[in-house]
Amino acid sequence: MLGYLVRRLAMTIPTLLLVAITVFALIRLIPGDPVQVMLGDSTDPAQVEQLRRQMGLDQSIPVQFGYWLAKVAVGDFGHSITNGLAVLPLILERFQVSALIVLVAVTIAACVAVPAGLIAAWRQNSATDLAITAGATLLLSIPSFWLGLLLLLLFGLKLKWLPVIGYVPFSDNFGQAMAFIVLPIATLAMIEIGALTRMSRASSIEVLRLEYVTHARAKGAPEWRVLGRHVLPNAFAPTWTLIGLILGHLLGGIAVIETVFTLPGLGRLLVDSIFARDYPVVQGCLLFTAVIYVVVNLIVDLCYPLFDPRVAAE
Amino acid sequence: MRKHQGVAAFTTMAMSAGVALALAWASAIPALAAGGVLRARFNADIRSTDPGTNRDANTDGVMGHVVEGLVAFREDTSIGPMLAESWEISPDGKIYTFHLRKGVKFHNGAIMTADDVVWSFKRWLDPATQWRCLSEFSDTGITKILGVDATDPQTVVITLERPTALLLGTLARPDCGQTAILNRDSLTPDGKWREPVATGPFKLGEWKRGQYVDLIRFDDYVSRTEPRDGYTGAKKVEVDKVRVNIIPDSSAAKAGLLSGSLDIINSLSVPEVEELKSHAEVKLSITPALGLTGILLQSNDPLLKAVRIRRALALSLDTKEIADVVMQGTARANNSALPIGSPFHGPVEDQGYTQDIAQARKLLAEAGYKGQPIKMIANKRYSFVFDSAVLVQAMAQAVGLKIDIEVLDWATQLDRYSKGDYQAMAFVYSARLDPSLSFEMLTGPKATQPRKVWDNPEAQEMLRQSMLTIDTAKRQALFDEMHRRFIADVPMIVLFNGSELAALRNNVKGYAGWLYPQPRFWGVSLQ
Repeated sequence: MLGYLVRRLAMTIPTLLLVAITVFALIRLIPGDPVQVMLGDSTDPAQVEQLRRQMGLDQSIPVQFGYWLAKVAVGDFGHSITNGLAVLPLILERFQVSALIVLVAVTIAACVAVPAGLIAAWRQNSATDLAITAGATLLLSIPSFWLGLLLLLLFGLKLKWLPVIGYVPFSDNFGQAMAFIVLPIATLAMIEIGALTRMSRASSIEVLRLEYVTHARAKGAPEWRVLGRHVLPNAFAPTWTLIGLILGHLLGGIAVIETVFTLPGLGRLLVDSIFARDYPVVQGCLLFTAVIYVVVNLIVDLCYPLFDPRVAAE
Repeated sequence: MRKHQGVAAFTTMAMSAGVALALAWASAIPALAAGGVLRARFNADIRSTDPGTNRDANTDGVMGHVVEGLVAFREDTSIGPMLAESWEISPDGKIYTFHLRKGVKFHNGAIMTADDVVWSFKRWLDPATQWRCLSEFSDTGITKILGVDATDPQTVVITLERPTALLLGTLARPDCGQTAILNRDSLTPDGKWREPVATGPFKLGEWKRGQYVDLIRFDDYVSRTEPRDGYTGAKKVEVDKVRVNIIPDSSAAKAGLLSGSLDIINSLSVPEVEELKSHAEVKLSITPALGLTGILLQSNDPLLKAVRIRRALALSLDTKEIADVVMQGTARANNSALPIGSPFHGPVEDQGYTQDIAQARKLLAEAGYKGQPIKMIANKRYSFVFDSAVLVQAMAQAVGLKIDIEVLDWATQLDRYSKGDYQAMAFVYSARLDPSLSFEMLTGPKATQPRKVWDNPEAQEMLRQSMLTIDTAKRQALFDEMHRRFIADVPMIVLFNGSELAALRNNVKGYAGWLYPQPRFWGVSLQ
């Protein structure tokens, strides 16, 4: 197990290096200069040069990359071009917001989707199955920003139950903090319920057809025991993998939800920084997201034996 | 079968419990509105609290409430007194003597004196400060400041190398941080920037990056007595606090306004104004602004170097219709580089292009135009820029000009603009408050300043003259002549000056937009 862990961790290093190089090169290959964006339409050439020197952008790209990598290796992600703040603390502060929303949303989605998929599989081709599958497909096909806006319109504008803009950390005021994040969590959870339900249904159908299920039933095991003890753990493994992928994917792609609900999360930081060509922040965010993706999937893989003892045996 | 129902019932119960819990949370939320707090919206965060250095338009907009300089812009873009009570200019135009107002307090309680003015100027003029406007006072700038001296606690003398019409205007420029007079406490003991300890009607409160900036009423503010006028005149603060919320997404901002979470949102787009008109709880503030939207034409381009083709494009357009359609009646057409609101925009500047399809076709035929496509860059960050591009494309087609629109993101377009790397581009310039500066942003040698669109040595000389002379009549004559040549050369087709569109909830009283596209939160109350 330890050897597996070390191997897995070692494999992540080239992945992250590749991400770093790609990110560094890509952001500089797209046209647009942070100095221009900062100065707008009034650019005095002397001022441009001074600012460029100050930001270290007058160096060649390999030199810039070398500096950056050397610093990143010791945990220094540099400073934002636009506001001069250290990048890593900025990312960590914003990440808390995104992580909270994504983790809660995925947990809720899993709690709803896994039993729903199991029930649909168990009652395959019945009206229940049809209803669950249709619901899942519908949720899957709604764009997240649209669903977010609909919820915002209903609960924020029509019913006025929830505030529509802003964010309060939990440490400041629990009630208000909840009010601000209920809708984004609901939006993300509803979207992911679709994908997870379908996956859970598919894997449950497969397991329900296996002989040991028939065997359990033949032995006279009650149906809840057949489903809960024999089907669910075995059907859950593929869903678990999908949850890992969704977690990583959401952390990288939560920008839309954060924009709709004006949450100060990592996704919005990334998008704002791309428009401002704030290189250090864009690089930092992408590298950080890549690390999170790798770590989440590592954790998922390491948890696998808990659901499927066969993996541990291998 | 009963077992099946049991599982289904359990799931339903669990889901219902979840919904009930969410609703319970929702009803437990306290009302978020608070008396005396005006809640505004900016579309992006500020860059720093150090005005005139690490800045952008939003930084200027927020800091304009906190800091003040010797002089400030009035609503008609003329210069009025702010911390200076009055000033005299020596006959040779090189010595400015400012008499300061008495009893003006800094946010830390200290009384402002001439010594603070000298200290502030020394800091501005130190290259280490990286003041945006330092280059204006360098060898290549408008003039050099040779000295700033306090002759008594209420008097400051600024000595210039050569006379200029632009000194006061430059000192007042919001992007120069209004050349704010600051207290020494603005810096840490080792000379680093801490926060603005200034004289403005608001003190800087909490700045939660990416979320909000608070402006707190400064209770000891010593207001001028004249009525509110641009950035000068009385500044009476009627609320305890202004929270400037950072909300990039305009739909979210609109939802915030309609739900009552925001009181004022500015920088609205035209379609949003149309939509908000139908809401009874909201009123609109529509003010002409100084920004300039138009089509830049690259005179170095093999095709567009022919002035007849550029002129044909100008004659194919009905600029009034473009302005009406794009801005939905909130802005007037204008072909001049001088904005309509400028006191220098007179009858001469009203003379522009008149649509003449036959003449346009004739010019194209004379120029030997064979339907070569012209690529025009536009962006969707500013919807009116893109909409203008589409209308120009359609109208040009009627005379046989073929225009292809290429949509780029704003950062990329700015890059192409500053390199002069385009055939044509729909573009928007930000507000310039002095007419010389309006022409300065367009006129210059392309060889050394590729971003300049109008490379005409005679115009450059006239521009230089306009910056040197203080005589208003002489300046007007220079601007009139420059306008005539600008229209003849067609380096760019100015279409209209935009509008500043803001929406407020009905309980907001006293808000007024002005030519400069930034909100002012003094004189605004909540009822």
